[in-house]
Amino acid sequence: MSSTKRYWTDLGDLHQAPEVIKGRENEFPTDLAIDQVLGDRNFQGASTGRRDFLKFLGFSLGAATLAACETPVIRSIPYVNKPEDITPGVANWYASTFYDGEDFASILVKTREGRPIHIKGNTRFGINHNPKVGKGVVNARINSSVLSLYDNARLKAPMTKGAAATWADADTAIRTQLAATAQSGKRIVVLTNTIISPSTKRAVEALKATYPTVEHVQYDTISYSGITGANLKSFGKRVMPSYDLTKADVIVSVDADFLGSWGSATEHSWQYSNRRDPDGAMNKHFQFEARMSLTGANADVRVPMKQSELPLAVISLHDHIAKKVGGTPVGGSNATVDAAMSAAADALVAAKGRSVVLCGSNNEGVQVLVNSINSMLGNYGSTIDLAGHTWFKQGDDAAVAQLVKDMNAGAVGALLIAGVNPAYSLANAAEFKAGLGKVGLSVSFSGYADETASLCTWTCPDHHYLESWNDYQPKVGQYALAQPAIRHLFDTRQWQESLLRWSGSEQSYHDFIRDTWTANAVGMDWHQALHDGVFTAAAMGALPEPAAPLAADLNAAVAQAKAASTGAGEWELVLYTTEAIGNGQHANNPWLQEMPDPLTKLTWDNCVCMAPADITRLGLNMYLGEQAPASLVTVKAGNNEITLPAVAAPGQKPGTIAIALGYGRGANGEKVGLAACVTDHEGNFNPVGRNAYPMVNWAGGAQHYEVLNVTITPTGATYPVGLTQTHMTHMDRHSVVKETSVATYKGSDKRAYNHPHELAVHEDVNGDGAINAQDKKPVLEFDLWDEHPVEGVGHRWGLSIDLNSCTGCGACVTACNSENNIPVVGKDEVRRSRDMHWLRIDRYFSSDMTKERAKAEDMGKIEMYLDMEVPSENPKVVFMPVMCQHCNHAPCETVCPVAATTHSNEGLNQMTYNRCIGTRYCANNCPYKVRRFNWFNYVTEQFGEVNPAWDDLGRMVLNPDVTVRARGVIEKCSMCVQSIQAGKLQAKKEGRPVKDGDIETACSAACGTGAIVFGDLNDKGSKVRGLADSDRSYHMLEEIGVQPNVNYLVKVRNLPTGQAGVAEEAAHHA
Amino acid sequence: MPLVARISKRSTGLLHAAFALILTLVFTTAQAQPADQALYDKGEKLFKGNCGSCHKPDKDLTGPALKGSRARWEGKGDIYAWIKNSSEYLKTGNAYANDLFNQWNKSPMTAQAVTDEEIDAILYYADNYTPPAPKGGAVAEAPPTGPTDAGPAWPWFLVLGLLFLVVAMSLSGVRKGLSQAVAQAEGRQPEPELGTMGTIRQWAWNNKAFASIIGLFVVVFIVLKLWDAAWVIGVYGGDEVEHYKPEQPILFNHTLHAGKVEAGNLAIDCQYCHSSVEKSKHAGIPSTNICMNCHTAVEEGRSPEGTKEIAKIYAAVGWDPATKKYTGNEEPVKWVKVHNLPDHAYFNHAQHVAVGKIECQECHGPVEEKMDVAEQWAPLTMGWCIDCHNQKEVKMAGNGYYDETMKRLHDSKLGERELKNYLEDDKITVKELGGWECAKCHY
Repeated sequence: MSSTKRYWTDLGDLHQAPEVIKGRENEFPTDLAIDQVLGDRNFQGASTGRRDFLKFLGFSLGAATLAACETPVIRSIPYVNKPEDITPGVANWYASTFYDGEDFASILVKTREGRPIHIKGNTRFGINHNPKVGKGVVNARINSSVLSLYDNARLKAPMTKGAAATWADADTAIRTQLAATAQSGKRIVVLTNTIISPSTKRAVEALKATYPTVEHVQYDTISYSGITGANLKSFGKRVMPSYDLTKADVIVSVDADFLGSWGSATEHSWQYSNRRDPDGAMNKHFQFEARMSLTGANADVRVPMKQSELPLAVISLHDHIAKKVGGTPVGGSNATVDAAMSAAADALVAAKGRSVVLCGSNNEGVQVLVNSINSMLGNYGSTIDLAGHTWFKQGDDAAVAQLVKDMNAGAVGALLIAGVNPAYSLANAAEFKAGLGKVGLSVSFSGYADETASLCTWTCPDHHYLESWNDYQPKVGQYALAQPAIRHLFDTRQWQESLLRWSGSEQSYHDFIRDTWTANAVGMDWHQALHDGVFTAAAMGALPEPAAPLAADLNAAVAQAKAASTGAGEWELVLYTTEAIGNGQHANNPWLQEMPDPLTKLTWDNCVCMAPADITRLGLNMYLGEQAPASLVTVKAGNNEITLPAVAAPGQKPGTIAIALGYGRGANGEKVGLAACVTDHEGNFNPVGRNAYPMVNWAGGAQHYEVLNVTITPTGATYPVGLTQTHMTHMDRHSVVKETSVATYKGSDKRAYNHPHELAVHEDVNGDGAINAQDKKPVLEFDLWDEHPVEGVGHRWGLSIDLNSCTGCGACVTACNSENNIPVVGKDEVRRSRDMHWLRIDRYFSSDMTKERAKAEDMGKIEMYLDMEVPSENPKVVFMPVMCQHCNHAPCETVCPVAATTHSNEGLNQMTYNRCIGTRYCANNCPYKVRRFNWFNYVTEQFGEVNPAWDDLGRMVLNPDVTVRARGVIEKCSMCVQSIQAGKLQAKKEGRPVKDGDIETACSAACGTGAIVFGDLNDKGSKVRGLADSDRSYHMLEEIGVQPNVNYLVKVRNLPTGQAGVAEEAAHHA
Repeated sequence: MPLVARISKRSTGLLHAAFALILTLVFTTAQAQPADQALYDKGEKLFKGNCGSCHKPDKDLTGPALKGSRARWEGKGDIYAWIKNSSEYLKTGNAYANDLFNQWNKSPMTAQAVTDEEIDAILYYADNYTPPAPKGGAVAEAPPTGPTDAGPAWPWFLVLGLLFLVVAMSLSGVRKGLSQAVAQAEGRQPEPELGTMGTIRQWAWNNKAFASIIGLFVVVFIVLKLWDAAWVIGVYGGDEVEHYKPEQPILFNHTLHAGKVEAGNLAIDCQYCHSSVEKSKHAGIPSTNICMNCHTAVEEGRSPEGTKEIAKIYAAVGWDPATKKYTGNEEPVKWVKVHNLPDHAYFNHAQHVAVGKIECQECHGPVEEKMDVAEQWAPLTMGWCIDCHNQKEVKMAGNGYYDETMKRLHDSKLGERELKNYLEDDKITVKELGGWECAKCHY
């Protein structure tokens, strides 16, 4: 025991000297800082002698034995009054709606014993519902949103100036001040994101009726006022049109990331993917852009161009089309992408009325030109619907700019802020903050004490959306309802209800919504609508007038457009939002922070994306990894500067850099939520990434996401980054990724694009009388192992993954996190390749080097492979979701010394955690590298900052049917065996065979584009069987003969023969 | 189980039995006898069959107490017509009947198909009814044994012993210090420092026989304790684990509720309370409102203790038996879970009961026969699980799911071969269809 005392004394001397000295005087110290000492990282550095070690060992063994002697008493507490529809142990699904101003989706919420634990797209209804595959598209932000419900940083009661208050106090104070403000004639501004809820609009109206000076200003964090303003000019309607990409044979997108972050992406994704089936009428997709976006990565033809060329490129497209269809050219341009634009124009004109041109620019002039193009092509009324437009993106940049001015001028008496965070996301946030100080009453409805809320006089926290009622009108005549999936956890109140209270109404918002629908008499069956989550009815309020004829001054538009291409400097900056973090409102979600960016594969940071050539030019670190940190660069735009790590992004136009918005939340220490900020090794509190919003260009009263003249200075310092995929290309391994062109696919035999692997044998297979290299047998015929009895016996579960339908969005990754209780490990662990994701999306760039070229150029093998590692300047991209392949001849199973991983009769490769002793032989032997090792107990305080399962609240999100794994065991994709078992049981109970589509894995259910299909390969009629037997089907690394139950479908690009990139030629020789 | 505990358990049991016997004798003899026993018995039978769910002879329930009802009706109306069809009788406009109706929440009594003679018998029974005397410990359960919240007491003795040791050692240190100080003061050479261990060793050396006996005792004691502890924590699937029978917050008697009617019990189907057993992985501990389905009417147990336990339900669900209204003060019952599986084992009741058609008793034992207090009957070890999976035949008949399984087996060559293997013992066991695979229960 004496030695223990010595340790504490030493550490005490080291760290808390005054206390210890004081303690020495005190013979019986009242409390021993055991927790502090054991929690101290430096404790690990203390030396322990052998004898001491043995003493500790003996003591702890004794203590453990004693502790283990008592049978634990476990309580089981049933309901007093069991709700009729809840059966403990059985999940309930509720239809609801996700809308946060950025994304919209009809969703299904899975609840267990009243706790929401998982979210997927509505399988039957909604604008994000894909009728072809019967699933709804959700992105990673939407299915991760369930986690934010259980964020302990959420405000638990109303606050005033940092102190907790009661609702009664808040109501009294705010009502009095609102009344006084209205009396004085000063403006009361309700500042929100785009409101598409008819009842919310009514609630704002009700407030206006009580306080006449109320005004509603809508602010889109990512502005679309360019396109909506252009529609006002062209058609007299300030709206975002509705696009139907299923009707588009040709899509030309100029910097519109319509599969990832632009417009109604959840809807566009399924529409687009349904037209990527090479057996059907495949669409053709051109993408012109500066940075490699998710959409660009999916394009058939991608043309990199500088951002300053965007207006010129649109003018060029306009004139090419005008010439072809007999329209009026607007003066042409000398865009460097002119030739490519001409080709795109040819394709568009050939598909007149069945095409669409999308543009991501927020320049009104550019968008007017795009309207003119679509009009010339006759796309209105077919692929573009103006009459049935969306109600998204109603934000008005000019009004927001005016508001900030008015606030500073003292003209705004009260400001109520809901759904937006201007103190963080406005470029002139400093000005806004100054103005906020001059507003008499500022109320934030934010659920967190975020950048804006922490400056407001009152914070009246809103419910989480899973605790809320709401109605939505995403499009003309299309409605959706949101219903609470859980009673509100904290003393929060829905913000619409707060408005009602302050208008003097005691009605609940639920009743208020019902009134809305009774009053409008649109013939809605409330219960049916609530059950479905959506309903269609006559449009509410005034019917939108039919689209006015195109009326816009094109010359003015050209002038306005061209203004956006002047003043370009050496470096141009593009600001964008990522698939995971979006505009930053969900930056506190650890699942999203740890989800690798589809292109850069970066987690827990934003970065400066640069063309590899530029990285080389500036002498920055190109290859990043665990021990290879990124170089820090300082980007300066006007007075703003930002220092971020530089990451090579193949496909980026040289001379252009890209920085993601939405990072750097809580930079001033605001408590914005679980994972937006993390404490590093040294105990420094850091926001994740840096905030790039101050760089947004407000030229001409609208937000523009490009700055045409910035400077870049390498700081000379380095910065460790958490990348999940450090290699860029598949290095000519065409048994991993197979790719072809539609011409080859349709015009040739399977062997041309999906050559089976064959091995030469010493027998005369082809019967030519000689045994030579031509005598080959398919790899499938060779077996090292005994056959597993899986064919025809019971089930054989399998996945089929269509590389063509996969857009790489990453929703499957987060869905898997949610379903399978996957721990979040934090940036530092990701950097050490210890990320725990069971499902990853490999992203491969194509390389210019091929075996043929190497041969022609007489290149050495080593040199060739080195060159193959280098991606092309404008590479083709393939996204490949990789999970455990459930090999029938699994190499992992044979090396496990304790039989912790075994094969099931149903073709599953099973992992038994309680058997695993952590040798990791299996992970070493896995050819697909899908096995993950639990290096730590992630449910401990050490990971408390990032891992949601650490606190009691966050733990509520865990799926009770899946074990939370302990330290020291291997885990991996189980093909959602819990869902398989549940689906089988359901069938057995109903006395019927399992129907195809009954069972979905988390990833397949999340994949609304239909790229991931799950089913029973032994069921002859199943979809997955059909896909597995199709000509495009192949197994990854087929030549090693492990016979996986996961198959992939060859990627087909809509290109003429020979243009699919190097993959195709190589496939012939594989 | 330690011997002492075993003896004490047995003796308490005997004591209880003896006590109960005496009480039963005393009270049975003390019971008053009605004049016409035959009519009384007939009345009792009819009362229990027709009236008992809403009436009590001597107390108000849903309807008024029947004792003295004939006297109350005397001269006010026709009690026979009233009993036979109260709704019809109300229409006659009888004032007393209408008063009664209004007084009892305007809930009409259902028409009764009884003859006048039978009504006479019922009323005779009610009028002559005397409440049975409390039966003492005859029905009251023997106090449950086994580990409770408090756990075994011996670790506390150990702690106490250690404390004594520490005190003794410190005192000896003090003594030594003092004697050394004295020695120093007296100018003597201080005794050579031996240290604590040294002193003990010296003492043991001087008292070899005694020390060895003590040592032997200590060793035997520790070994016995460890052995016992091993049984408790289930290393050997010992008695106490298999029959884990924790004290419950309400002494719910399974035998009384689920046991056979012939034995005087209620024979309620298991699934009446454990209603999710065919739907969910959990059989479900019934919510308190299920208890209230019967216990709104059944306010009294068969013993005073039973009545106390029923009162606990009322406290939990917030029911005031006096006003027969819910007060809204709810306090969930914190049952102690008896069947505990480790977190990494997945078990689904629906699979076993709805599909496998296994009787509850196969795993839970004769709950309805001898489980006054719920106890664990099976070891619930993995060996026990897979033994059963190895022997049980899959109930395939009439289940379309298994028809498909068989069809697939017949349709493929490999399947035929497998099927032949399966049928070597003339049955298809759970194991043969994958019931021994890890991911059937571990995921």
